[in-house]
Amino acid sequence: MKLLRRALLALSVASAVAGVLRFKGKGVGAIKQGGWRKFTDKK
Amino acid sequence: MIGIFGAGVVGARVAESLSIESQTSILVYDSSQIVAQRLARRLSETNSLIKATNRSELHRAKVVVLAGPSPHTPVAKEFLGKGVSIVSTSDDIADCLNLLSLSELATENKATLIIGAASSPGMSGLLVRNLSKAFDSIDEVHIALHGTGGPACARQHHRALSGQSIGWHDGEWLRRPAGSGRELCWFPEPVGAYDCYRGELPDPLLIKRAFPELVRVTARVSATRRDRVFARLPMLIPPRAEGGMGGLRVEVRGTKNGERVVDVVGVAERVGQVAGVVSGCVARSISVSEISQPGAFVLGESSLPNEALLSRVMASGVQAHSFVRA
Repeated sequence: MKLLRRALLALSVASAVAGVLRFKGKGVGAIKQGGWRKFTDKK
Repeated sequence: MIGIFGAGVVGARVAESLSIESQTSILVYDSSQIVAQRLARRLSETNSLIKATNRSELHRAKVVVLAGPSPHTPVAKEFLGKGVSIVSTSDDIADCLNLLSLSELATENKATLIIGAASSPGMSGLLVRNLSKAFDSIDEVHIALHGTGGPACARQHHRALSGQSIGWHDGEWLRRPAGSGRELCWFPEPVGAYDCYRGELPDPLLIKRAFPELVRVTARVSATRRDRVFARLPMLIPPRAEGGMGGLRVEVRGTKNGERVVDVVGVAERVGQVAGVVSGCVARSISVSEISQPGAFVLGESSLPNEALLSRVMASGVQAHSFVRA
């Protein structure tokens, strides 16, 4: 019973951390360095 | 005379691209005659030389663009045997390998066979050749593709995520499970960033043929979690008539003035549109004998007029963008 409680606690903590990271994480934003320019033929 | 075999999304784009600029007759064939007739009628306002035809009449053409679903090998064999040049848009790896084996047949019949004249492969080869001019030597090419053309292309994309990817790595072909090797690839706006995975794509094979000096060649395709999970099952939801905005990203690495240099070029356009314009431009070059050497070739090969082809593709409205660091 004690083991099961510990496992459930560990699982809920892991889910909470994963949830925080997923929703508060920075994710993919716009490119911060450089960007796309019109391609010019390389001579 | 230029023939188009298949009047789906890519076939229609080939016909549109040819009907605007070409002064030669265009014959359209599709297994569904109504589809071919509808396409010919729609484009006859801009070009009166376009008409729907039957399969046997296509044998009179100088060059035929195979724009239908793969496999293209049996059809290519039939036309090459009659001395008709072929431009294939196939992106199936086994089909491309079989097409390469038709080189001898093409040479015997004094016909030209262009393999993989689409977006990726096709446009990718042209861009690599163009980028290579800015290097002293190139040794790595990494391709990423986002999006699909018509329903046949979407099915091929689905299959590509369930097979085995091939990549050229330090002198040997590496086989890895498709759907592995996640990499975040940036495409020009409005496409943006997508997770791309290894796929059963013919690009490494064809790019390596065009650039034997390369040490590493990889190709990736964008996919969602759902795409990867269901890749090994039959397609449960029928694909849309045409995919949305697609993207192509070509990364070339090499040396210049003794320094390591990386160049990235991207295209943001519907995949079917790029494939149609590229294959249309190649067909026109064969039709005016700009490409006349017999045998099998891939775009980017030094024996082809790659610069002229790329200029024509860009003039047809396909915009490429280079990534510039801050």
